[in-house]
Amino acid sequence: MDHIVEKTRSRADGAGVAPFLAVKDIHKRFGGVHALRGVSVTITPGQVYHLLGENGCGKSTLIKILSGVHRPDEGVIELAGREHRSLSAIEALEAGVETVYQDLSLLPNLSVAENVGLSQQLVRAHGRLATVLDRGLLADTARRALSAVNLPTSEDFLSTAVGDLPLAIRQLVAIARAIAVKARLVIMDEPTTSLTRREVDNLIDVVRSLQQDGVAVLFVTHKLDECYQIGGEAIIFRDGRCVAQGPMSSFSKEELSRLMTGRVVDGARYRQAKPAGATVLRATGLTSGERLREASFSLAAGEILGITGLLDSGRNELARVLAGVQRSTAGSIEIDGAAARIESPRDAQAHGVAYVPEDRLTEGLFLDKPIETNLVALVLDRLRGAFGGVDRKRARMLGARFVADLKIATPDLDRAVSALSGGNQQRVVIGRALSNQPRILVLHGPTVGVDVGSKDSIYRVVQSLAEDGMAVVIVSDDLPELLQNCDRILVLRAGRVVSDLPADTADEDAILKVMVATDDAVAHAGEAP
Amino acid sequence: MSTLASAYTPSTTGHPVRQVLARRPELFTLMLLVALCAFVAAANPDFLRLATLFDLARASVVIGLFALGVFVILAAGGIDVSFTAIAALCMYGVTKGVVEFAPGLPLPVVFTLSIAIGLGLGLVNGFLVHHLRVPSLIVTIGTQYTFRGLLLTFIGTIWITTLPPQMDDFGKVALLTTTSSQGATIILPLFVLILPAVAVLTWWILRRTLLGRAIFAVGGSPAVAERLGYDLRSIHLFIFGYAGALAGLAGIIHACSNRQANPFDLVGSEIDVIAAVVLGGARITGGTGTVVGVVLGTLLVVVINNVLIMAGVPSTWQRVVVGAFILIAGAFMVNRRRA
Repeated sequence: MDHIVEKTRSRADGAGVAPFLAVKDIHKRFGGVHALRGVSVTITPGQVYHLLGENGCGKSTLIKILSGVHRPDEGVIELAGREHRSLSAIEALEAGVETVYQDLSLLPNLSVAENVGLSQQLVRAHGRLATVLDRGLLADTARRALSAVNLPTSEDFLSTAVGDLPLAIRQLVAIARAIAVKARLVIMDEPTTSLTRREVDNLIDVVRSLQQDGVAVLFVTHKLDECYQIGGEAIIFRDGRCVAQGPMSSFSKEELSRLMTGRVVDGARYRQAKPAGATVLRATGLTSGERLREASFSLAAGEILGITGLLDSGRNELARVLAGVQRSTAGSIEIDGAAARIESPRDAQAHGVAYVPEDRLTEGLFLDKPIETNLVALVLDRLRGAFGGVDRKRARMLGARFVADLKIATPDLDRAVSALSGGNQQRVVIGRALSNQPRILVLHGPTVGVDVGSKDSIYRVVQSLAEDGMAVVIVSDDLPELLQNCDRILVLRAGRVVSDLPADTADEDAILKVMVATDDAVAHAGEAP
Repeated sequence: MSTLASAYTPSTTGHPVRQVLARRPELFTLMLLVALCAFVAAANPDFLRLATLFDLARASVVIGLFALGVFVILAAGGIDVSFTAIAALCMYGVTKGVVEFAPGLPLPVVFTLSIAIGLGLGLVNGFLVHHLRVPSLIVTIGTQYTFRGLLLTFIGTIWITTLPPQMDDFGKVALLTTTSSQGATIILPLFVLILPAVAVLTWWILRRTLLGRAIFAVGGSPAVAERLGYDLRSIHLFIFGYAGALAGLAGIIHACSNRQANPFDLVGSEIDVIAAVVLGGARITGGTGTVVGVVLGTLLVVVINNVLIMAGVPSTWQRVVVGAFILIAGAFMVNRRRA
């Protein structure tokens, strides 16, 4: 793949240039947790860095210190030649440190133009709010930044409220905001989680042109393939320490996994070939609006079916239709040979279909509620105790069982879900889906934003569920994930199923080819919306 | 990049009229207002007489000023229910002060005094909201009781029925005059111009200054706004201070307009004002709405409260109408989100 070409470029670029930013021996504690234990990192202009590590290793803490959200307890920050004990948000912005947070930090009620261009005006005014807006500049800045990430620059798009945009577009808008001002360092916290391959390639082009302008880019990501493709320096964190640093190409995948987790994780297939069981689900001509057109497929007990495609291929719609979150406008679903009407999540549950949504933070979890409450939320009617209340004891037992079965790392069940790492949060969502004893499990992007170690244990859980006869659907754009876990992979394009490949013989390039194949031709022919 | 761009067309569905309304909810308010006026005018042609319109304009000023203040707070995701208490305190306190200690105080000074007291009390709200980190509803319920209690305990409880002459005269300065159906002379007071002036000022602050966009940013997400470098303290102090100053202005106008100062007045009309803002298309959860919408919402509430009776609707039914309109508008807003 591409990364071989990138191999030797990285080091030479940054050599002999004065660093833009250097942190020295940074410590940060949160209560009893020692999040950063003497971290030193140097950022050189025009260089790309990948900050790698498992969830909870201190990556987020470091970027929050760099962007002025947290104050370090000890250590020095040298920014553009000046020493600081800590930074404020405005100081970081004024020096050109721009951060694209994982939650995107967009304001849903403001327009695209405002989300992209307002920060520049705030910095120009040095944070003083009693300033008249320069609306011409705002629109110009927004247009320039949007076209740099290949988003439309029409008046209509500029005035759209960000909350009305799909997640992938919001991600690009957040990136546009970061590059709208004269950035010197752009920090991107998992920028590609909701982007498809094509959009990732687009983003990589953006990074390349930033590099050429002397802008440093710091990625925080779990997607190692992309890191190799982009190239640059790897900075590897474990338990609040920097355990290794060097050109990306000098580390093998296995080495990176070992450095991040401190143990050996192999990239082999999880899935062992199994004879397919009886067909449990048959979808015929499933259609939903313009995005999903006449998708047909079947799913057997004990089978793991992967579904992939570009963002607008209809894969997300298919997952939601199966789960009853979105209605189909035509077509039918049969479960165990009998027609099943699935028009709401409740119907889906009644038919034994459980769904783990893509965006667990907004669709999947009651974030500020305890782990136990989240785990038992689906089965409250079965936990009914005296006087119609919830039987606390049985709820506790059920919760404790899932925490043990899914190895959710938490000291107790009363902790708010928001306090857990991404991987553990995802296990809570899966645990809840399982609480209803489903026969069909639909996982939508099951390891988005989840680290290597947690991915491994989520895959093991999925495999053992299939082993026990559950039919599993994984909808994902993470091709290695599908190849490692599935029996078959369906590829969708422009709303239709265009390919059904056996996973043990397929490879990434073949799938990619099918995904994008005649896509442009289709678009040019005017068929795409 | 044709495929990239194609994915970005926002999912607008439904009839074109619906799409326009989804972008500009205040048009819905305008439709309600026009429909209501047409209904009243059909039932009683007197509605269209200048005298009625003058009355409506006069009645809109105080509630409109309140509504603009509440809207600025609502835009930032807060709420205020203390503005009527602030207005009553300013109105009665300043009037009583002028009557007792400085009968000849020039009118601009009287107004400035009232606005300054309102600003000060509003800043107290803003300070408490920011530093106690208590929801603004709780803070302003608390300060509403406190301000009102202070007024009645320390300033007085006796109606002032004879205003100082400069205030009395101000309420009578006419912009236009007409005669009512009974032959009485009805004036359109000069002070009605204050509402459009303040509306334009508010619009300008919200749309054309960084502060205004920062207010909406906080209404979208306070945590994100803070992370992006917006100074929440300034914003909190400004919105509550501004609403307080407008309450002070509304209070003194109320006294001039009614030619009396009643310390028990005003408090209790908060819900009318909040209803006006919500009917104008601002979401109660903050971050949305327009000044035009607020003005239309104000007119809607004023028309319901003042002239529905002309169409033969008993005054007891007015509340039912306001309630029904809020429900209709509310249902419409929810559907707008789902569309």
